[in-house]
Amino acid sequence: MRLKKGPPDLILFLTALTLLGIGLIMVFSSSAVTASVRYGDAYYFFKRQVLWSIIGIGALLITMKINYQKLKSLALPAMIIALVCLILVVTPLGIEVNSSNRWLGIGSARLFAPSELAKLAVVMFLARTMEVNIDRMKDFVKGVLPYLTIIAVVCGLIMLQPDLGTAFVVAATIFFMMMAAGARASHLIAIAAAGAAAVVAAIVVAPYRMARLTAFLNPWKYANEEGFQTIQSLYALGSGGLFGLGLGRSRQKFFYLPEQHTDFIFAILGEELGFLGAIVVIALFLLFAWRGFKIAINAPDNFGSLLAAGITVLITFQAAINIGVVCGVLPVTGITLPFISHGGSSLLFTLIGVGLLLNISRYSMNR
Amino acid sequence: MQSTSRLLVRKRIATLFLLFTLGFFILGGRMFWVQFVRGAELSEKAAQNRTRDVPVESKRGIIYDRNGHDLAISVSADSVYAIPAEVLASKKEQEIAQKLAAVLGMDESRVYDRITRQSSFEWIKRQIEPELSQQIRELDLPGIGLTEESRRYYPKGSLAAHVLGISGVDNTGLEGIDYYYNDLVGGQKGRIVIEHDAANRPIPEATHHYVPPVDGANLILTIDETIQYIAERELDKVFKERQAKAATVIVMDPHTGEILAMANRPTFDPNNYGDYPDSNRRNWAISNAYEPGSTMKITTAAMALQEGIVNENTPFICSGSIKVGKETIGCTNRRAHGQQTFAQIVENSCNVSFVQVGLTLGMEKYYQYLNAFGFGQPTGIDLPGEAAGILVPQGRAKQIDLATMSMGQANAVTPLQLCNAVAAVANGGKLMKPYLVKKVVDQSGNVLQENQPTIVRQVISEETAYRLSMILEGEVINGTGKNAYIEGYRVGGKTGTAQKIAPGGGYLPNEYIASFIGYAPVHKPRLLCIVAVDAPQGYPYYGGWVAAPVFKNIMQDALRYLEEPLYKDDSAEQTLPAEEMVVVPDVVNLPLEEAAALVRSRGLQVKVNGSGNVVWQQTPKANTRLKPGQQVIIDLSQVDKTSHGGPVTVPDLQGKSMREVAKILADLGLHLMPEGYGLAYQQSPEPGKVITGGSTVTVKFQPIGE
Repeated sequence: MRLKKGPPDLILFLTALTLLGIGLIMVFSSSAVTASVRYGDAYYFFKRQVLWSIIGIGALLITMKINYQKLKSLALPAMIIALVCLILVVTPLGIEVNSSNRWLGIGSARLFAPSELAKLAVVMFLARTMEVNIDRMKDFVKGVLPYLTIIAVVCGLIMLQPDLGTAFVVAATIFFMMMAAGARASHLIAIAAAGAAAVVAAIVVAPYRMARLTAFLNPWKYANEEGFQTIQSLYALGSGGLFGLGLGRSRQKFFYLPEQHTDFIFAILGEELGFLGAIVVIALFLLFAWRGFKIAINAPDNFGSLLAAGITVLITFQAAINIGVVCGVLPVTGITLPFISHGGSSLLFTLIGVGLLLNISRYSMNR
Repeated sequence: MQSTSRLLVRKRIATLFLLFTLGFFILGGRMFWVQFVRGAELSEKAAQNRTRDVPVESKRGIIYDRNGHDLAISVSADSVYAIPAEVLASKKEQEIAQKLAAVLGMDESRVYDRITRQSSFEWIKRQIEPELSQQIRELDLPGIGLTEESRRYYPKGSLAAHVLGISGVDNTGLEGIDYYYNDLVGGQKGRIVIEHDAANRPIPEATHHYVPPVDGANLILTIDETIQYIAERELDKVFKERQAKAATVIVMDPHTGEILAMANRPTFDPNNYGDYPDSNRRNWAISNAYEPGSTMKITTAAMALQEGIVNENTPFICSGSIKVGKETIGCTNRRAHGQQTFAQIVENSCNVSFVQVGLTLGMEKYYQYLNAFGFGQPTGIDLPGEAAGILVPQGRAKQIDLATMSMGQANAVTPLQLCNAVAAVANGGKLMKPYLVKKVVDQSGNVLQENQPTIVRQVISEETAYRLSMILEGEVINGTGKNAYIEGYRVGGKTGTAQKIAPGGGYLPNEYIASFIGYAPVHKPRLLCIVAVDAPQGYPYYGGWVAAPVFKNIMQDALRYLEEPLYKDDSAEQTLPAEEMVVVPDVVNLPLEEAAALVRSRGLQVKVNGSGNVVWQQTPKANTRLKPGQQVIIDLSQVDKTSHGGPVTVPDLQGKSMREVAKILADLGLHLMPEGYGLAYQQSPEPGKVITGGSTVTVKFQPIGE
């Protein structure tokens, strides 16, 4: 199928750039104290984030140019590479940080996190197989079981690191893509129920997850233990009030709030920029979701629709979970806020995803 | 087929978008709730979470007696603290620990542990001696600081312990006056607020301010230290001699309601209250309701006189017992008093006749007066823990109750309530509100609060009150209260020997509360005093034998101390009018100016012999009576005391600091051999001994508190 090329979705592009810009500022503001204490360089994290942003935008520009149709043939190899990396990361080749193996690299230099690659590879692979399989999606054995198997394999590997948060995001993305691809409502409900049961099981078997959940249900009681992060996060948000303390004036970043430039960067943002700043970021993600799903709906074929929907879900769902954790409506899961949080491979693959979305938008049928 | 699935995919994606939109709206709402609705509360908590207060103690006000003698003071001592983050930042924690441990005599590893602890503020040692704090100041160690802390000290030990109460280690009043007036006396703690990061390093440009403490206001009590001392002394005597369970004394000015003395046994030393059983701290005088027995007959008599049911000469006949309903009430040992006048039934404390008086008064009148005299409700004295007493509820009272309460049973009252009710008889019929604090004065001399005598109500007429006083004088002269008679004064009063209620009901067979309440001079009362002794051992256990002598000794000394003129009977011949005599004060060991002023204040002349500035001898001796204008010779210490070796009277050094002791002894030409540090608590030779100048006085000191 040869399609006519149009201009990419400018709104989506600007939304992504705005979020990236806010992210860079917040990474600097939130990490400066920690960075100068830990590395003697206030710009330590900021410099890395700038570097990765440049790399990421480069990757975005490249992926935007190549016709997404060509990715169909790349879907399977990408999936295989991702699986191999996921296996490698739990071997001694992986780098252990905080008793989790989440990075591949040389020595102690972290190169990239395989689960970030896996997220994108899974979306591509699913978009490809679902397109082929689109008429059998309502069949449980042929339309549902294969994807459950993929969830089991990919999420199982990610859980070996272990990284429940990312596994959950991947599982949810696959689930939403099945929904987009037209799986039966009854099947989806059954899967959701089973997924919930699996999550409960995962929580029950690991004492630290159980502790996190208890702390989530009653953070004030565990304010000095497992509830600490949630409480400190709420302190930060509450201190911000309507207008915030002003950029760079967070008090909670002085080691009160752990992961202040990664998982909890949104709390520092809420503290410094207030409710207005936080709501702007939420609105930008909503805008991103709107444009992403619009691109998906207007894509010329099911592969494009499913790929665009998958990428949009991947990014916005993760954002929603992260914000939910920060404002205390979800238990602490340990996932980052796309575009905003510090983290090289996460940023790189997010921007590659945006590149793909922009790519698909150029072949929009509805202009 | 292809197009149907294509349509479904698009519809499903649209549904996904709606789902996600809903999700983000929920998150936005939650953010609004957290940041806007609960923002202030969370922000406050966050600030608390980030700040640490270094406390700066305020000093509690001094408690003085009515003449300005201090009863409770605050002494301060430095406490050493560490700010571990600063210690660690200096990277000299080993050296600091070693130096501190050496000065403070502490274990080095313990000091090291404290100064490196994960906290923003750590005490190392509290209330250290001044020499040590000076040494630490000179060491000037990083992260180590000194702050002044203060602590209550009671220089007179257990004197008026129940009135003064106790203060806790954190310098707050826990009991007594110190508790009741804690808000005024306690002052306000100051603090140094430091905002810091989670690793306890101060945050740049953060809140960092000093709130200075406000020292507490001073209290001037109505207590007179000397009368209190007299009361304590006499109470001690009876408590020990009669091995009583408890005993209490209240001395009051009946005209104003001012409490001049209030003492209880058993007692305690508020400086070391932990060494005594908790029950020793109970203020019997205000918290213990007991059936007062015959002392209560004063109020029954007052009612009868006021209502005009009787006069002094109304005849009564006592056959030894009287039947009220089914019960029989008897006089002591069922002995018949025969025919008596009303005045005589008071003197004889005749139960039978008082039952008749009570029954004649009737239930309604009786309760009306009972309430008017303030029974059954707290007097409102400015002390915590006052009991209300227990009256038989009027609605449930039967004739037998009326009969027994007329002679002082059935109703339970506190010593203070009884004291206050009898004061109304003494002062011409006015029920006063008793009080203990005259004035509250802040550190700059402003009077914050001044308590004035408060008349609660007129209970009986002035005339009734006076007539009853005369009857009560007869009781002391002719009746059961003979042992309360004080030579030279007209005394009125009433004895009481109350049965004690057994825990299971009824009365204990062998336990009594012996009491006496009275006032003097009866025609113009100056002091009123109640003495109650719980369960005195041995015979006789009657109020007239146990309590009346205590009353007599206290009143005699107190009236003389107050220079209350002796009663001049017009018919008696006296060589010298007592009113014109003055008592020579004790000026030995006082500085010259003070001694001379004291002597002159009594209207006596001063003649100074020798030179120096401390009195070492006086002629005539203290407490001798002289006519105004006569001379008191004051001999001063010799200039060259050591070489002279003249006799010197050893002063009382109790409670003085080492520096004060050293100065006093040096002025007297004596050498000091100190032991320990802190305040003097023991000395050898004892005060009052005459020794040769140049001798050595050994004084033992002990630190205040820890």
